[in-house]
Amino acid sequence: MRACPAIALYNKTATTMAFKQSIAIIGADESIGSALAKSLSKANYRLILVAKDQGESDILKSALLHDGAKAEIETASCAREACWEADIIIMATPYETEREVIEKIKEVAVGKVVISISTPSARPYRSLEPSQDTSAAEELQKLLPYSKVVKTFNTVFAKNFIASMISSKNGETFIAGNNNDALETVSRLVLSVGFIPIVVGDLSVSRRLETLHFS
Amino acid sequence: MYKRLNESVREKVTLTPEDTELIHHYFIPKKLRKRQYLLNAGDVCQYIAFVEKGLLRSFSIDDKAGEHVIQFAMEGWWASDMSSFLSGDDALYNIEALEDSELLLLTKSALEELLERVPKMERYFRLLMQNNIVALQRRVTSSQSDTAEEKYVKLIDAYPDFIHRSSQHDVASYLGITPETLSRIRRQLATRK
Repeated sequence: MRACPAIALYNKTATTMAFKQSIAIIGADESIGSALAKSLSKANYRLILVAKDQGESDILKSALLHDGAKAEIETASCAREACWEADIIIMATPYETEREVIEKIKEVAVGKVVISISTPSARPYRSLEPSQDTSAAEELQKLLPYSKVVKTFNTVFAKNFIASMISSKNGETFIAGNNNDALETVSRLVLSVGFIPIVVGDLSVSRRLETLHFS
Repeated sequence: MYKRLNESVREKVTLTPEDTELIHHYFIPKKLRKRQYLLNAGDVCQYIAFVEKGLLRSFSIDDKAGEHVIQFAMEGWWASDMSSFLSGDDALYNIEALEDSELLLLTKSALEELLERVPKMERYFRLLMQNNIVALQRRVTSSQSDTAEEKYVKLIDAYPDFIHRSSQHDVASYLGITPETLSRIRRQLATRK
């Protein structure tokens, strides 16, 4: 697989973003969701956490604030409200429960970047050869035709986020998507949590990304 | 979610039900809480914003940290830093929500795609711009030649409910008078009734 480093995107003169982007993390209590929330809380964002219930979200918020969050942390009792306020949406719920969430957020996710990190658990471990004609990310894009779905982080397990935060060595993460502005936005987000973004192509490359497993 | 937008469009152009539905997909629905900013001066303005619900103020800050309100935007109005939006230069204005607000945002590329896809919307935006130019001309003339009281009376005649939704400080700034002058005018008007 040929990878195109996204570092060049950040060598150009970028528009200053003193404005804090709002990121909704749907499934902030899931392992990857909470690891992402922890990492993003150190960056200049406004996070809106959605968990199984309000109580869980509040516990997460308290924990993040206690750890010295730089980001603003909010909670929302429902995914729709969180996504309505958000500029970027991270789908951190398991693949199997995504559809239910999508129905709730569809209307308010129009025009927004939606990050797919799921790896369908129904699939057994496969070889690196792509063998299917779709992916979770592409299915998500079909269900959210007016959103800009980007695949990333699915090759990184939760523990690696923490490791990346405490070590000086930056891991890489692959990014795939159909929209250049969305790829740029997600690359910036990936950099902000200490990873090096590698844009690998359009959303169809998710078919391969979703079969990759790293321990 | 698109009630006010549909009304605003219907006032100026006639679209088919299909096109009415279609234009919705070009807008980004965005909720802002009170005191949240849509735009910071110095950033590039990415959007023109239509207010479905709520109230925004656009203001600049001078060298002495004084705030100057250029515009308010309530339901059915549009807000943006047009110069920054069109040129990509740094915005002069801050845009802040004075109430919890529901906005529909258009990026420049979405606007271009919308106009290509539904050409009748060119007329909608032309009429908006025409009205805007007229209003701005009137406002400059009022600023140059009206007394403080005349400016205030014109504002409350046009938007009687608006006064209750914004602070005296913001209204005074918009009118180009001090809060103390505004307070005196209000007392005098109340006395005359």
